[in-house]
Amino acid sequence: MPVDYLVAQDLHKSFNEHKAVNGVSFTIYKREIFGLLGPNGAGKTTTIRMLSTVLEPDQGDVTIGGHSIKHEAEAVRGLIGVCPQELALYVELGALDNLIFFGRMAGMSSQEAREQAMSNLKLVGLQERARGRIDKFSGGMKRRVNLAVSLMGHPELLFLDEPTVGIDPQSRNNIYETIEGLRDKGMTILYTTHYMEEADRLCDRVAIMDGGQIIALDTPHELKAQIGPPEQVTLEDVFLKLTGRSLRD
Amino acid sequence: MTRALQIALLQVRIYLQDKSDLAFSLLLPVVTFALMYFVFGGQTHFHATVHIVDEDPGGIYSNALIERLDALDELNVELLSLDKADRKLERSDLLMFIIIPEGFSDRLASGEPVQLLFKQRGNGGQEGQIVAALVRSVADDISLGLQVRGQVTAALVGIDVPVNQIETTVERLLTEERESPTVAVTEDTIGSSPDPVKQFLPGIITMYVLFAIILSARTLVEERQLGTLERLLTTRLSIGQLFAGKFIAGISRGFIQTLILMALSYAVFQIFTPLSFASSLLVALIFTCAASALGLIIASAARTPDQATWMGVFFTMAMVMISGTFFPIEEGSVMETVSRFSVNTYANDALTTLISEGGSLADVGFEMGILAGVIVVGLLLSRYLFKVMPGGR
Repeated sequence: MPVDYLVAQDLHKSFNEHKAVNGVSFTIYKREIFGLLGPNGAGKTTTIRMLSTVLEPDQGDVTIGGHSIKHEAEAVRGLIGVCPQELALYVELGALDNLIFFGRMAGMSSQEAREQAMSNLKLVGLQERARGRIDKFSGGMKRRVNLAVSLMGHPELLFLDEPTVGIDPQSRNNIYETIEGLRDKGMTILYTTHYMEEADRLCDRVAIMDGGQIIALDTPHELKAQIGPPEQVTLEDVFLKLTGRSLRD
Repeated sequence: MTRALQIALLQVRIYLQDKSDLAFSLLLPVVTFALMYFVFGGQTHFHATVHIVDEDPGGIYSNALIERLDALDELNVELLSLDKADRKLERSDLLMFIIIPEGFSDRLASGEPVQLLFKQRGNGGQEGQIVAALVRSVADDISLGLQVRGQVTAALVGIDVPVNQIETTVERLLTEERESPTVAVTEDTIGSSPDPVKQFLPGIITMYVLFAIILSARTLVEERQLGTLERLLTTRLSIGQLFAGKFIAGISRGFIQTLILMALSYAVFQIFTPLSFASSLLVALIFTCAASALGLIIASAARTPDQATWMGVFFTMAMVMISGTFFPIEEGSVMETVSRFSVNTYANDALTTLISEGGSLADVGFEMGILAGVIVVGLLLSRYLFKVMPGGR
């Protein structure tokens, strides 16, 4: 029996006259990888920014681990880790220093932060480059450090916003394996990506957003079954059928 | 508080990581100081070279004139031939020279009037006019001495007093008069100090602090662009801790440069006493805190690093210009009222009181109070702006 971990109810967010998110509701179960897919401008990032307490919803609320993002944001921040789309790292510093710093911000002691930082760097295959400066790293290495930072503080829920953009297959595969390992250890993950095969491989359930709303939500298998035999249909076919083929800016 | 210190420490570490930026920011105060030293020549009074063509070489009075001029602190004497002096004047290598004519000493000794010739290009320039005034003063003094000796000698004709005794006595009296003149001139300076270093140092310090803070203001905006700010906002770090950390980081950066500048001024120009140095450092620290709080306002309002820079440059220039940092403001004028709206005014006034006027911290309580007020208002306003600006919290 799945246990609700994140419950979003009727989320709305507008910027000036533009409705970025328009009545989004969904539930993420504990220990699942939940994919949030959608074309550019669908409202995915705004949704994640609300879920991670960076933006306050105009309407609606979210509970994470039973805590409201509106009324218990501090407690929510203690449960989440965020791996943003941008490489949100201090590039002048070493990988280890970045991890330790964000560990301290997550409330860890210096010793705890150092130990977890080394463990996380090992997890993403960068223990040998722990002291290397971020600005000397390749794109794939930076992405892996970005992921390792988001794991500092032992979050229960991880937001991964397009964590594999622009990297080589080896680094991408390392990130996949890391994410699957985290799920196996009991972590709940919200995952956004433009790579449909990635979502198909990793996600237990997928929500497709467009125009600030969720237009479909199910397992990849069930979504594919809606338009044909799942073995012959890809998630990309489903995505294009639901969101159309017109270009998005 | 630990997280705030971690934020501050991170900023300092990033600052220290960029070696070229670090070298540049630490060298700038040294370069500024060197510029001050070069401009003021390590001294604060008039100093010039007087060029002399001596056509009465070896003459007793021409020698006396040259020796007396050379003995003045304000002048160096350089002897030239007439041809060379003319060529230099022609090429504008010098603007004025003095000719001691042939027979100068003999004619003076025989009581005949003599003339020194000042040959100059135009009016000789400001420096030439000051040199000419100094030469006239020495020449008048020699002339007066000769007149007194002549008149005393004439008055004592028929009395059995040896001439050399008259000479010695008159010379002694004239020397005493020179050393302790009957009519002495003292200077009572109102307003800014006539010492250029003391006059400009407070302004240079306050300007440096403000510029350093602008650079610090960029860091918050750059973090916003990089995404690290948003990442920080998803941790347990509170906005208060974030601002406290940035505030402390700004102070560290601004104060390091100020410390270098003041320590160099102390060591080389010796314009401080240990107490005035410590007091000035404290005022500089309070001003740095105020400037750091103002930097946070800029950081909260700006959307891009360039915006932050230009807002900071405009703010700094406006504060410097209306505060009368580098030019005096007339008391009671509209400009004086306007200058009260510049934070620099209070820092400059406090530093000037401590450095130039020998005041103590008790004398700058009002200025310190204003700066403390700026710190509080700056922090509150920056926090408000951070909340209301797009993407803020």
